[in-house]
Amino acid sequence: MGEDKKMKRCPVTLQPDIENLLQDLSADDFSSASAEERADFIQERKSVSYWKDAWRRLRKNVVAMVALGVIIFLFLFAFVGPMLIPYGYEQFNKGAENLYPYHYTLEDQQRLDAEVAARTQSETLDVDQLIAQAKAEAEAKGEKFTKKDEAVIKAQAKVAAQTASDTPEADPNVIRQELGIKKHLFGYSVDELRRKAAGESVFPHVFGTDMYGRDIMVRVMYGARVSMAVGICAALLVLVIGATYGAISGYCGGRVDAVMQRFVELIYSVPEMLVVLLIATALKPILTEYVNSGGNSPMKAFVNILGPNLISMFIAFGVLYWVTMSRIIRGQVLQLKQQEYVTAARALGASGGRIIRQHLLPNCIGQIVVTTCLQIPSAIFLESFLSYLGVGVSAPLPSLGSMATDALSGMYTYTYRLIVPSVILSVMILAFNLFGDGLRDALDPKLKK
Amino acid sequence: MSKYFAKRIGMALVTIFLVTCLTFLLMNAVPGSPWLSEKSPSEATLAALNAKYGLDKPVHIQLMKYLGNLLKGDFGVSLKMQKNRAVTSIIAEMFPVSARIGALALTWAVLVGVPLGCLAAFKRGKFTDSVLRVICTLGISMPSFVVASVLLVAFAGGLAVLKIFPTIFDPALGWRSYVLPCFSLGFYPMCYTARQTRSAMLDSLNQEYIKTARAKGLKNVKIIFKHALRNALIPVITYLGPQVAFTLCGGFVVESVFSIPGLGRYFVQSIQNRDYPVIMGTTIFLATFIILMNVVVDLLYKVADPRINLTKGGE
Repeated sequence: MGEDKKMKRCPVTLQPDIENLLQDLSADDFSSASAEERADFIQERKSVSYWKDAWRRLRKNVVAMVALGVIIFLFLFAFVGPMLIPYGYEQFNKGAENLYPYHYTLEDQQRLDAEVAARTQSETLDVDQLIAQAKAEAEAKGEKFTKKDEAVIKAQAKVAAQTASDTPEADPNVIRQELGIKKHLFGYSVDELRRKAAGESVFPHVFGTDMYGRDIMVRVMYGARVSMAVGICAALLVLVIGATYGAISGYCGGRVDAVMQRFVELIYSVPEMLVVLLIATALKPILTEYVNSGGNSPMKAFVNILGPNLISMFIAFGVLYWVTMSRIIRGQVLQLKQQEYVTAARALGASGGRIIRQHLLPNCIGQIVVTTCLQIPSAIFLESFLSYLGVGVSAPLPSLGSMATDALSGMYTYTYRLIVPSVILSVMILAFNLFGDGLRDALDPKLKK
Repeated sequence: MSKYFAKRIGMALVTIFLVTCLTFLLMNAVPGSPWLSEKSPSEATLAALNAKYGLDKPVHIQLMKYLGNLLKGDFGVSLKMQKNRAVTSIIAEMFPVSARIGALALTWAVLVGVPLGCLAAFKRGKFTDSVLRVICTLGISMPSFVVASVLLVAFAGGLAVLKIFPTIFDPALGWRSYVLPCFSLGFYPMCYTARQTRSAMLDSLNQEYIKTARAKGLKNVKIIFKHALRNALIPVITYLGPQVAFTLCGGFVVESVFSIPGLGRYFVQSIQNRDYPVIMGTTIFLATFIILMNVVVDLLYKVADPRINLTKGGE
């Protein structure tokens, strides 16, 4: 349309040339649009909702998407993983104590034993054999063979074995290297290897086992589950308390707001870490006593299911950490309540609660989501900190923090026991942090730097 | 101004009072007593002990008495860990140890964190920025016990070649024993400071007066450190204020890992031992310190940005 239009007018003018335009239009141009054109038109104007827009932006953020992937993976690891593994977190696997996350094949071990025996022939006489020998000698001489003599022989044999393994040529690691024995992935005990060789299917100890023979992988899964549950529940708790408090404070304004904000300031200046530590320590025994005090009530059952230590942690978190959320919501509500739609709602006779729920909170959903999401890693952080100090999640339930404490005693020999929970914990917090950052960029383009 | 500070200090006193009461009540609500040990003492001994330390009275009377003593500067005596030693003298002994390590840790955290944040903001979107961002996000994602134990494994015995530093803190060994605790204590604040500085710097680098400074032909160093940084410091100061108090009183975790005889470790031990007066004394000491630092932070706002008007609530 209008392609053959000639430019007769002054080229400098900015005024649209309407007269020309109208002249160029034919009657055809006023016919109604075909169905196809209509569909096209609608397609073009397809509305992009807030969430769709945010999701589009989020999808472009590679880091955030990778973080989301990691979070989903960890979630499956923590919640589906334990179902796939035939070990329990409190199951002592006999004969599988102190396994490294790698193993040597049975043949290799036999080769090694043979080699060690060959090198330290004299010392590695069987203790029982020695005792039998001494017994025979003693009887031949007509003396009595006492328990004490037996102990002496045992001790001697032990010392001999020790010195044998201390001598460089008998060091198993050196011999392994000389024989070219290689490590294989995953930990198996000797017994498990035999069963495996016999055709039984044995699930490996992927991350090895601890000093009681408990499978570290299962424990880490449960630990991750505890961490995630604490993180998400605490964040939701903070969301509920903070959003309610902030919205009421902001909406009411005036004297109510002033009083409520004094209280927020008060909590702000309380040393959080200290009080959380105190509350967690103090509430745990109180709740434990409450659960054990006999009698039945729904409240008691509830406390019992979650466990006293988790609840005390939630309370500690709920008491102190909602202030940031409430400040953010209050700021938003203060701005939003001046908008016309709020006035309109009020004119229609909507109650304050309804306005907050229906109009104000949905409009600061972006901020709420971002703050909640960033609250999760900080809750996980806190949980691991408390568990590490021994006042958080307590045995038998494993926690990543308490696993790290347990591993401290043998951390040079069994470094993996420290590394595995530490890495999982750090990766989890990192993923939540990165995803939260990405979410903030996506939901709040103004903040994007 | 003076009215504002009167208000602030009044608020601070109320907070300290509330923290004191809260701690006291929490401690008393915990079942079990400080006298529990392997050889359980007889009823008569228990009663005598309770009477001696005033634990047989109702809670509110104990609280009143404690508050009264507190006003006189009497924090009570340790019940268990160092029997009958005044809590004030324990704090006086432990605090300098923690404070020395904490001060070193925070110093390096700020001296490294702030310039790194500036660098990242200045090189925004470039490779340097990405690397720094990864490091700093990683840093705020690693709990201090992870950092501390990884350092221990790496540099204090895990590998024979790298066994440079001692595992257990011992002032007699000189600077070597300070390196690992200070590093692990300062790592989180360093990363956090760098992140804060970066985002605040990005804000202030977009301001008009930076354009003016550039137009004047000032050097980059001068623009960043003299003009932009000063305005970017506000959020950093806000974070660092309470952090100073916390770090000087010792990282609870780092002190446990390195067996440092400082206040933080002692606090955790006193909780486990139910040594009420020590818990109370340490909490009040730390709370007062933190609240005081918050007031100092307000003063520093004014120094960093003279335009800030404290009396109007700053909003």
